[in-house]
Amino acid sequence: MKKFLTFLGMLLLVASRASAQEPASESNSSSAASAPTGPLMHVVVDGLDNPCGIAIQPGTGVVFVADSGSGRVVKINGSTAEPVITDFALDIYGKGPEYKIGPLGLLFLDQNTLVVGGGDLPDGEEALRVYDLTEWKEPIKFDAAVASFSLPETEEVKGEGNFYALAANEQGVFVTCNGDDTKGWVSRAAREGNKLVGFERWLATKEAVGVDAPVGITMTPRGEILIGQMGEINVANDSLISFYDAGDKRLLLNLETKLHDITALAYSPRGQLYALDFAWLDTTQGGLFQLLKDDAGGMKTHKIVSLDKPTAMAFAEDGSLYITLIGPEPQKGQLVRIDPGL
Amino acid sequence: MARSRLTSFLLFLIGFILQSENASLFGQIDVPPGLSPLPVPATNPVNEAKIQLGKQLYFDPRLSVDNTVRCASCHDPSKGWSNGEATAAGVSGQRGNRNAPTIINAAYNRFQFWDGRAASLEEQALGPIANPIEMNLPIDQMVEKLNAIEGYRLAFQNVFGSDATAEHVANAIATFERTVLSGNAPYDRFKAGDTAVLSEQAHRGMKLFFGKANCTSCHTGPNLTDGGFHNIGIGMDQENPDQGRKAHSGLAGDLGAFKTPTLRDIAQTAPYMHDGSLATLEEVVQYYNRGGTDNPFLDEEIYPLKLNDDDVAALVQFLREGLTGDSLKIIEAPVLP
Repeated sequence: MKKFLTFLGMLLLVASRASAQEPASESNSSSAASAPTGPLMHVVVDGLDNPCGIAIQPGTGVVFVADSGSGRVVKINGSTAEPVITDFALDIYGKGPEYKIGPLGLLFLDQNTLVVGGGDLPDGEEALRVYDLTEWKEPIKFDAAVASFSLPETEEVKGEGNFYALAANEQGVFVTCNGDDTKGWVSRAAREGNKLVGFERWLATKEAVGVDAPVGITMTPRGEILIGQMGEINVANDSLISFYDAGDKRLLLNLETKLHDITALAYSPRGQLYALDFAWLDTTQGGLFQLLKDDAGGMKTHKIVSLDKPTAMAFAEDGSLYITLIGPEPQKGQLVRIDPGL
Repeated sequence: MARSRLTSFLLFLIGFILQSENASLFGQIDVPPGLSPLPVPATNPVNEAKIQLGKQLYFDPRLSVDNTVRCASCHDPSKGWSNGEATAAGVSGQRGNRNAPTIINAAYNRFQFWDGRAASLEEQALGPIANPIEMNLPIDQMVEKLNAIEGYRLAFQNVFGSDATAEHVANAIATFERTVLSGNAPYDRFKAGDTAVLSEQAHRGMKLFFGKANCTSCHTGPNLTDGGFHNIGIGMDQENPDQGRKAHSGLAGDLGAFKTPTLRDIAQTAPYMHDGSLATLEEVVQYYNRGGTDNPFLDEEIYPLKLNDDDVAALVQFLREGLTGDSLKIIEAPVLP
């Protein structure tokens, strides 16, 4: 009975619709990644500056990237990064190493409505901005948003900031935040079609799981919210993944991953679950990992490919996986693509 | 909807089963309410004979080079398992520059020592014995010394099936330290539903603790620590400040960062901070209220809290009253072989 239940639980975890298969063994062409036995990987764009967010435009498949350290959102045209939204302010994340950050999480509500999570302003002033790209022909300024939301300080609660990653269902957009470290908020913007109507602190993840820093977020194929709790950046192996009911916020399942610092989570079109690990303490351990059930009914990770400070990922419709990497130094960031098959 | 309920039920059952499995790891250690399942390494299972042997070693001054200093000298059960001084004296009265951290709930620490240089109690246990300014007894000499004592040799034979080794000593001491647990504090009973257990002032302090005072940005979870390292500014105004975690992690951002200690039974463990520089809980709260000591590596969670005098008093009252458990036993030094 116990094994049966555990098996069911892990089925829920990985949402397996197909058996996990190892990606083809190929060399790669990425300087910021190494995959001696991993999948075929291509560098799409070089020279990005702390890229921290990816969204794929519905209908066109065009990849948009938050080129965070450059304070801009770009779209990828061949091997070129074309500015779309520019002139975001810059803030600093970390005490050493330090990273310049501007725009962070990206999400399309429809083909022309792009939501951008900010990392550019102080906590409390940080903005979740909505842009209408219907008439877009040339770069627009960051303040051309059609709507903007923030979560300012109150008498009882700190202001929110660093809107790192975004996920959505029909009812709302869920945003991981990095302001109030006593609560670890995931905020929620209620959604009416392609409009956001209001923004609130929604889920206190730290109260639920006792670990800091919700960062990665995605919706499971069944519609639960899956959050990667990064944990302390100077503590190894402390990242969690936590499943919540998207309606009533109940914590459904919380699992230790033994990964160091999860920055992104995504399900492949085949229903397999993947995580990016930044591995702040030792970035040589970072990379793309598949999350799987193990024989004992727990979970295990399988490293697909080593990556140098991976920050965000998104699957395209054809199953290609796009990943942003900070790389070895500023302005050496990359967007890489892994061929379909994950 | 029915499917959703079934899913939730199954997930609950899975969690329950996994938790029950963990409970079996406790061996013979009684874990008080409010704490998590006790982590026990598979390589060092608990049994009563090992606990008793570890206790003897913990209280035995012969583990120091001149038979004057025992583990309990600096981690004294009657002084909150610390020693009541800013820095403790080792052999020949030598002192380091750090406060003796409490043993209370050290079993839950991801890291041991203020800078986290040991990953487990077992890894930590021999460090102070060999440290020249603490007990200054080379480990090979320690083993030789213990095996020359018939009572110890027989005890090690009984517990480990062989004479004393360095690993056996570490495992025994760690096992004893693993029994030093603080829980079932008024805070735990409040969480369990006894809403009258806290005084009005402590209750107000608890609200501040979990809110405006920002304490839970670091002091979180059942053991009231995030297990991480933070620069809160202590000592950073000195010419050559203690490097703290940076000396081991190599990360520039870890300069002056030290491990977040548990706040369980914090009223018993004065003085406070990694250098013992703050004598009272009032001083500690006022320090945080000022926003710490500014420096380039100051954690961003340290900022002026704007607490008034009543707030400070209430917060101190919560720390003192709310977090003092009833599970710490009075430990007397055992009869030594």
